[in-house]
Amino acid sequence: MNPGMKLLLVVLIALEISFTQSLIVNVILIAVSFAYVMVKRMNFKTLFLLVFWPLFPALGLFVSQWLYGSAGIHFAWVLFTRIYAYVFLGATFTLTSSITDLSLTLEQDFRLPSKFAYGVLAAFNLMPKIREEVQIIKTSALMRGEVFHVWSPRLYFKAILSSIQWSQNLAEAMTSHGFVEDEPRTHYKVIRITALDWTVFIVLLIAVQVMLFLIRY
Amino acid sequence: MENKTQTSNHQHQSKWTLRNIILIALIAIFCGIIFWGIGFLYTALTVALTPIGAAPFANDILMGLWCMAGPLTGFLIRTAGSAFLGEFLGAAVEVFLGGQWGAGAFISGLVQGVGSELGFTLTGYKRYDWVSLNASILTTVIVTFAWDMYKNGYNKFALPLLIGLFVTRYISTFIFGGILTKMIVKLLDRSNAFSL
Repeated sequence: MNPGMKLLLVVLIALEISFTQSLIVNVILIAVSFAYVMVKRMNFKTLFLLVFWPLFPALGLFVSQWLYGSAGIHFAWVLFTRIYAYVFLGATFTLTSSITDLSLTLEQDFRLPSKFAYGVLAAFNLMPKIREEVQIIKTSALMRGEVFHVWSPRLYFKAILSSIQWSQNLAEAMTSHGFVEDEPRTHYKVIRITALDWTVFIVLLIAVQVMLFLIRY
Repeated sequence: MENKTQTSNHQHQSKWTLRNIILIALIAIFCGIIFWGIGFLYTALTVALTPIGAAPFANDILMGLWCMAGPLTGFLIRTAGSAFLGEFLGAAVEVFLGGQWGAGAFISGLVQGVGSELGFTLTGYKRYDWVSLNASILTTVIVTFAWDMYKNGYNKFALPLLIGLFVTRYISTFIFGGILTKMIVKLLDRSNAFSL
């Protein structure tokens, strides 16, 4: 499925289940997303982490709602499953789509200005380097006997200095590779939204509406 | 760590230049990665607070941190939409890093982005000082709290607990989005690295 359409669908459904309270629909969404992820890519470590980490916030919400909520145990379960529904819905997108394809389709099919699509993509591609840079900033502070925490302004200061420098370099590099802002572009890799994408999108969205309408528990 | 910022670039019509877009995205990713490192802190807080049913406080205690990218980028790139973009991308990073929120983080990012942005909208993108920063903090807290009323089921809690959560969130956002952001901006200002 087209990554842009898929993301839109996932976000729409997630938004909807935030306002509805159907335990069964949440479970169905989890099961379907889970099946989709399993079919697309079998990686048990990733799956384990997907189940493990959300357990804490889900359990936390459950217990507090159970102890202090006015809506009873059913609503506590709704919140518990809602967290997992978010996670597995999100996984159907993140585990099967690439950021590159997403920004390509956002530019070509969703009319996002190319400077946003490619600018953000360029920054996202630096993610491993940014991780490294955070380590470097922290380590070099340690060498001067300074410990940087998440609340240290100097940590962010240095991160922003790197960002300023890198953004300048990246923008210049893109310009020298022939990127011109606000000019029409031709595309090496063309991504279209097909009739199949539309069909799947509409059918799934309607299916969710019908389920939410019929299944109230 | 010197850099050659071109102050002359800023006289151009729109502030949405390729460079500024990349800058916003980079700052957002830096923030996302720094906060991702404290994921364990959130989990630890949640675990500690769960037995007494106070786990939502973990969310509210750390809310300010998650909402920092918005005020920062909004303050640095002074144009409509920059706070929203920064905050949203900061949340999107968490999704791709494999945080524990999944699709929820995208929506939280949208909500927090709108919250941060509104403060600067209220002051008309004219003033960038303690007042607009506080406006941004206030709108962030209100908008995200309204969202959690539904998303995290806060609307089923009694009033005293709600007030406790709201105050916690406000203090957290004030410290990280307000005081810390101001300190960072001051450092930047003094270093002359960036023409604000």
